[in-house]
Amino acid sequence: MNKLDSVKNLDACIKCSACTSQCPVAMVQPLFSGPKSVGPDAERFRLEGIDIDPKCLSYCSNCKTCEVTCPSGVKITEIILRAREKASLAAQKSGTTRLQVRDLVLGRAEYLGRLGTIWPGLTNGLLKVYLVRVLMEKILGISRRAPLPPYQAKFKGIRNNKLVPNHRLSKAVVFFPGCFINYNDSLTGQAVIKVLEHNGYDVIMPNFHCCGVPLQANGKFNEARGNAKKNLALMNPYLQSGVPVITGCTSCGLALKEEYPNLEVSGSELIGRQAYDLFEFLWELQEGGGLKQDFQEIPVSLGYHAPCHLKAQGIGTPSVRLLRLIPGVRVSDLDTGCCGLSGSYGYKQEKYDIARQIGEPLFQRVQEGVRIGEFQSMATECGGCQVQIEHGSGIATKHPVWVFMQAYGLSPEFL
Amino acid sequence: MWDGIIIGGGLAGLLAGIRAAERGKKVLIVSEGVGSLTYSSGVIDLGDAERLMNQKSHPYALLGERVVRSAAEYFQTLFPDYWGNWREPQFVLTPLGSPRKAGLIPRGLNTQALSETHKIILMALEGMKDFFPEVAKSNLLKAYPQAEVVLHPFRVEAFEAWYTLGKPITGMDCGKYWRTASGIETLKGVWKSLDSFEPDKAVVIFPGLTSVFSQPLREVQSNLPFSVIEMTAFPPSDGGYYLYRGLVQKFKALGGELLVGSGVKKVELKGKQCHKIIVNSKGKDSEFSARVFVLATGGIFGGGIEVTLEAAKEMVFGLPPFVPSGWTNSEFLGEQPYARMGVETDNQLRPIDSASKEVLLENVRIIGRMLAHWDPWVERCGGGVSLASGWFAGEQV
Repeated sequence: MNKLDSVKNLDACIKCSACTSQCPVAMVQPLFSGPKSVGPDAERFRLEGIDIDPKCLSYCSNCKTCEVTCPSGVKITEIILRAREKASLAAQKSGTTRLQVRDLVLGRAEYLGRLGTIWPGLTNGLLKVYLVRVLMEKILGISRRAPLPPYQAKFKGIRNNKLVPNHRLSKAVVFFPGCFINYNDSLTGQAVIKVLEHNGYDVIMPNFHCCGVPLQANGKFNEARGNAKKNLALMNPYLQSGVPVITGCTSCGLALKEEYPNLEVSGSELIGRQAYDLFEFLWELQEGGGLKQDFQEIPVSLGYHAPCHLKAQGIGTPSVRLLRLIPGVRVSDLDTGCCGLSGSYGYKQEKYDIARQIGEPLFQRVQEGVRIGEFQSMATECGGCQVQIEHGSGIATKHPVWVFMQAYGLSPEFL
Repeated sequence: MWDGIIIGGGLAGLLAGIRAAERGKKVLIVSEGVGSLTYSSGVIDLGDAERLMNQKSHPYALLGERVVRSAAEYFQTLFPDYWGNWREPQFVLTPLGSPRKAGLIPRGLNTQALSETHKIILMALEGMKDFFPEVAKSNLLKAYPQAEVVLHPFRVEAFEAWYTLGKPITGMDCGKYWRTASGIETLKGVWKSLDSFEPDKAVVIFPGLTSVFSQPLREVQSNLPFSVIEMTAFPPSDGGYYLYRGLVQKFKALGGELLVGSGVKKVELKGKQCHKIIVNSKGKDSEFSARVFVLATGGIFGGGIEVTLEAAKEMVFGLPPFVPSGWTNSEFLGEQPYARMGVETDNQLRPIDSASKEVLLENVRIIGRMLAHWDPWVERCGGGVSLASGWFAGEQV
C-alpha cells in the first residue's frame, strides 16, 4: 500500500470499536488498549512523529481478527505491524539482549528446526527435561509451560524429487509445506502429497525456506522479506507455467497471498492468484467435477476449529465443506474464537498466560463437546492451533487431511 | 453449488440463514465485517406493528401480519431468553436510565418491577465507562416518582489493573467478567454486601451485567430475594454482541457456513437470474454459485448503499434504489427522508423497477435495512423488519 492509500485506509476507520470488542487479546489483557487504539488511533499521532506507548504494540498477537471484523476494511493489523517495525528499529540499540536473542530464536523456526531434526530423539529428550525448560525461560524468556511441539525427522517430500516434464505441468502442483510440517509433522506432509497424488496431481517440492511470518512477528521484517524473495525465486518458474502453489499451513498460505504480492520481484504478480490453501484447491476441483469421490464410509465425528489465519484469507472453511462430503463423517464447526497461541506469541514467558486465557473458552468447548459425545476428537489445519488445543484441552487434534487419507483408503485410520 | 447464498451477516441475514439451514438447505453467508449487531443493545424493536402494516409500501404491509407475527414467534423459539410479544410493548432502560418502549427483550432487561417498588438500588461500579450514575438516578426518579433511588457505588478487585492504569472499564469488559466462574463468585459477594439495604423490599438495577444466554448467571439470580434489572448500553454493547454470537452459533450448528471479512466484488447474471457471486478473497477471487441469493447488506450504514452528492447506488447487484426527493430535513433529530432509501420489491421481496413494477431479478430477495420505505428511527421497527424479512427469505431459499 502506498502512503496515500494508507492514509485513506486509516481515514476509513469510523471509531466504532467493533475490532476492540472482538479482539482476543483485549478481552483478557487490560494492559492492551485494543486494536483501534493501538492501530488507527495511535497511527494519527505516529504520523505526526509522536509515539504513544510503543510497548503496547507487542501485545498484538497478529491473529488479524480485527481486520476480519472491521466493517470498513481498515488494515488494522498491518498498521500495528508497520508501527512495530519502526519501533523495533528504534529500540534495537536499547532493547535487552535477552529479548533480542529470543526474537532471533522464535523468529527462526526454520534454523531451530534444522538443528532439532538432526537428532530429533536427543532434542525432544532434552526439551522434556524440566531443568532445560527452566533455563530456556531464564535465558531466553521462552515459557517453561508452553507446549513446544516435538521434532520429527525432517520432511523429505517426494522420494526422489522427480522432475515433472513440461507437458505434464497442467496436472502438477507445487507444495509449500511450511516449518511445522517440515520439522514437527512430516507425516502430515506425506499425507498432503498422497491426497494430491490420489487426485492425479504430480507434486513438486523445491527446498523452500520459512515463509517469513515468524520473523515478521518477532520484529525481523527485513529478514522476512529476504525469505520471501528466496521462496519466490524457487516458485517463479512454476508460477510462470501456471502451476498452483498449495499450502497445508494457513499462516504460510496467508503470507503467500497477502505479503508476497507486495514484493517487487518476478513472480510476485502471480503468487496471490496462484497460492491455494490445500482444501481451497480441493474444493475448486470438486466444483469443477475433478475431485475423486471414491470415499469409503468412515464413522468419524470431529470438532473443527477454524484457524485465525484461515479466516483472514476470506475463503470460508473449505475443509468443513469437503469433510461433509465423506459418508459417515460428522463435523461441528466450533467457532469459539482464537486458540491463543498465535505462532510464537504463546511461547513467550510473559504471554503464556494471556495465550492460555484467550484459548480457555475454546478448550472448555472442546472438552464439553467430547464429554457429551458431540464429537470424538478435533481437527484444524494450523499446526500451532493443533498443539495449543491439545495442550489446553487434552483432546487429540489433527490436520483434516488425515480424514481424507482414511476415506481414500490411504491410511488405516484417523487417530 | 449452494441452495442459498446470503450477502450480509447482520440480524436479517443470519435469521434468513438459520431458517433456511433449519429447512435442510445448504447455506453460505458472506459478510464484509461482523455486522452491526455489536453496536446494538440486543433489544429487538418491533414498532407499532398494527399501524405500520397499514402504511403503504412499508415492509410490514408488504409481508403482512402472518409473516411479522411468525417471524417474532420464530425468533423467540430460537431464543427463549427473549421476552415479549409483537402486540404488547415491553419497557427497557436506556443507558441514561429512562424507560423506553421495545418489542422483544432479553428477560434481564424487563423493567416491570420498577413500577411496583418503593426503593431502587442503583449499582454503580467504580470506573465504568459510559455510565453516568447521577444522570441515571435523576432519570429514574422522574420515571418512577413513587420510589426512592439509592446509589450504591462499589469496587471489584478483578478490575484493579484498570484502576491502576486509570483505564475506564467498558460495559463489555464488565459483561464478560460477570459471566466467568470467578465473576459469578464475586457477584454472590456483591449481593451479600447489599444486606444492610434491606434489598428484599427493593429492586436492584445493575448496569454492566448481561445475563442473556448465560445459564449460570440466570441460576444465581433466580435464588435472590429481590429482582435485578439490567440496562442497555452504549455501543459496542454486550447485549448485541451475545445476540450476534447466539445467532452465529445457531447457524453453524445447523451446518451453515459463514465467511466473514470479505465483500462481494461482482455478480454474474444470466437474464433475470443471478447464478454466481465473486468474493474478494486474499490474493485472488473466490466464486460461489447458488440457486437463490439474499441481499442483506445493511443499507447506507452497512455499506449496502453508497451515497454520493449525485446519486445513490446499490453496491452488489447495481439495483436502482428508491431515492426520496428531498434527502434531508434541517431539524437534526427530526424525520430524515433519506432513511427511507432502499430497494423496492414485490411482496416476495424480489427487486422491482420503481416505474414499471417489473421484477428485475427473479432469484434474488432483498431483506432488512436494504428494503425501501421504512425508517428505523422514527418507526422504531428495525429489529422487526429484519426478523420478518429475514424469516420470509429463509422460507423461500
